[in-house]
Amino acid sequence: MTEKNHFDGLNYENVYAAQKNMLPGTELSWLNDIRQSSMTKFVEVGLPGPKVEEWRYTNLTPLKSETYEIADKSPSMSADILADLTVQENTGSKVVFINGYFSEAHSKIVSQSGIILKSLPDFLKSDQNSAQALLSSLDKQNSLEHLNTALMTGGYVLQVEENVKLAEPIEIFHIATKGAEAKALRSKCFIEMKSQSSACVIEHFSSPDGFDIWRDNVTRAQLSNGSFLSIYSFQCEGSEVIHMNRVLADLGEDAEFRHQSLNVGGKISRTEVKPTLNGLFAKTNLRGAFLGREGSSHDVFTHMKHMVPQGTSDQIYRGVLDKGGKSAFQGKAYVAKDAQLTNADQSNKNLLLDRGAEANSKPELLIYADDVKCSHGATVGELDDQALFYLESRGLDKNAAKGLLVEAFIAEVFEEIDLEAVKARYLDLARKWLDKG
Amino acid sequence: MAMLEIKNLHVEVDGQKILKGINLTINPGEVHAIMGPNGAGKSTLSYAICGKEGYEITEGSVTFNGKDFLELEPHERAAEGVFLGFQYPVEIPGVSNMNFLKAAINSIRKYRGEDELPAVEFLKLIRAKAAELEVDPEMLKRSVNVGFSGGEKKRNEMIQMAMLDPIFSVLDETDSGLDIDALRIVADGINRMRGQDKAILVITHYQRLLDYVVPDFVHVLAGGKIVKSGDKSLALKLEKDGYAGIGIDENAA
Ligand SMILES: Nc1ncnc2c1ncn2[C@@H]1O[C@H](COP(=O)(O)OP(=O)(O)OP(=O)(O)O)[C@@H](O)[C@H]1O
Ligand SMILES: [Mg+2]
Repeated sequence: MTEKNHFDGLNYENVYAAQKNMLPGTELSWLNDIRQSSMTKFVEVGLPGPKVEEWRYTNLTPLKSETYEIADKSPSMSADILADLTVQENTGSKVVFINGYFSEAHSKIVSQSGIILKSLPDFLKSDQNSAQALLSSLDKQNSLEHLNTALMTGGYVLQVEENVKLAEPIEIFHIATKGAEAKALRSKCFIEMKSQSSACVIEHFSSPDGFDIWRDNVTRAQLSNGSFLSIYSFQCEGSEVIHMNRVLADLGEDAEFRHQSLNVGGKISRTEVKPTLNGLFAKTNLRGAFLGREGSSHDVFTHMKHMVPQGTSDQIYRGVLDKGGKSAFQGKAYVAKDAQLTNADQSNKNLLLDRGAEANSKPELLIYADDVKCSHGATVGELDDQALFYLESRGLDKNAAKGLLVEAFIAEVFEEIDLEAVKARYLDLARKWLDKG
Repeated sequence: MAMLEIKNLHVEVDGQKILKGINLTINPGEVHAIMGPNGAGKSTLSYAICGKEGYEITEGSVTFNGKDFLELEPHERAAEGVFLGFQYPVEIPGVSNMNFLKAAINSIRKYRGEDELPAVEFLKLIRAKAAELEVDPEMLKRSVNVGFSGGEKKRNEMIQMAMLDPIFSVLDETDSGLDIDALRIVADGINRMRGQDKAILVITHYQRLLDYVVPDFVHVLAGGKIVKSGDKSLALKLEKDGYAGIGIDENAA
């Protein structure tokens, strides 16, 4: 029943059967049908094993032996957690999920005309027809997303009308508490940018150290002509968390999509960014850094699809690995036969702070058009001893000297960020990671 | 009490014996110059004083203000007041001169149990030092030494020295690569570091720096040893007669 090189996911049928009443929209028969058929499709394929090419660097064996149920609702949370995560001085909307469930009490939706922002459960209640349209038309789902569709409890819908500019960034908080031990937290988020609209979303993932939790978040963004969407993602999961975050974006003519991520936590962390450029002159800009040491594996998988001419994509990813840390960057770029005059750049550099660290980098270019400019570069290097001694000779201790060099190494990823508080947060989290070493 | 006391120092690099018994005493208020053929071990001596990794001390001692210096990490030696002007200053992409200097100063202050230097005072100080050394303050916003000309790198070393205000400076060929005006500016910078409680060790190949920074003692280092010491007239004699003129085979190193 399971596909070749996949693990059996049969147990999740039982989870679905036992817990379906806990899922939002359980009263909607069309939704139950979607969930049920998604579950069937998931079970047909199963969980990807390490022999599946796209997953060769992320070993999902821990998912094979455990079955992660859906978390209980009604967790409590101290307000400090939220305060610590919030980007300074941001007065925009805050949408909070605790253990996979929308928490109205902690959230704050700032209303603005031309903007709809609702949690998915609320949207299922208030906008049934739109919700059905959204959930019925999920294309390009892999087996993990089928499982997500079947069992998701959280998520949100953001719709920005034509010519509307979101005034302040929206912050999304995906928080887990100790109560989520051995549970899976799933959310599905929809962002719809109508033509010439613009928005910025900041997402935070946070969970306690030492608790075995499976997080799975999917964002599907639709960018109509001339729209702009920027997503900032901060992954600060606890030490035992399996973190998966997938973003799919469809871009129309002249649309621009930016995604900038920082991964510093988790036991297994997998970020997938998959933009499809369907309109002329569409632009994507992907930036990311991952910092790992003993007990963590980071995997960033990007799949850039240029379907039409004159598109631009630019990716810069930086990895820093200390002793025992593992990482993989897989950058797949596809340029269709008709997508002439495409510009596609990709760069992944990795810095090993210790010989006992491992960084893999695998660019994969599938170019079928002949008049394109595509580049890719991947390097793995160590700290420059001469530079280290130079800094030390000026009075910086070894850790501080290393810190300065690491910050310089990842600086390129964040230098274009124009929101100062967001930029500061990236640097701050990177520094905290270094200090832990 | 001597400020720096080096006794019978033997240093190996990659298993190769480079310094073979250096003895050198420097007292507060003194300026010493070390000259010597290429490959003699001058830079090696400067690295050994500052504690660079890979410079293995196989014999001997280095004492600074009564402290066993060989026990200290490089950053601790800096905080004790030693500054090394590099023969080849290192380029560090992505680290701005400003941030680097601020971090260095505050790290040293912390070691000494002092409070951080307020940002405003730091800025005032760095502007003053840049003006003294006739350096465009815009340059300080750039990455450390990246894209600097040879002479600019040496001037940047002098700004760092002036900012860190060391007790003892080792200046390794700070004069090489400088144009005539820059040499005077840098020499003035070095002279500002002189003082009753301070000392300087300049490593140089040429008399021209010593015309401005007049040394109390001149040593000739060859083949890993100090083979001759004298006053400033030794440098003048070397300039005139070369190493052969004082009976040193250039290839002895
Ligand atoms: N890693 C190394 N392995 C072996 N030998 C080395 C190493 N590093 C330096 N040396 C040697 O040590 C000797 C002393 O070098 P050092 O740089 O101290 O000379 P120097 O007196 O400063 O010369 P210069 O006037 O050219 O600057 C040289 O012969 C050099 O080749
Ligand atoms: Mg030298």
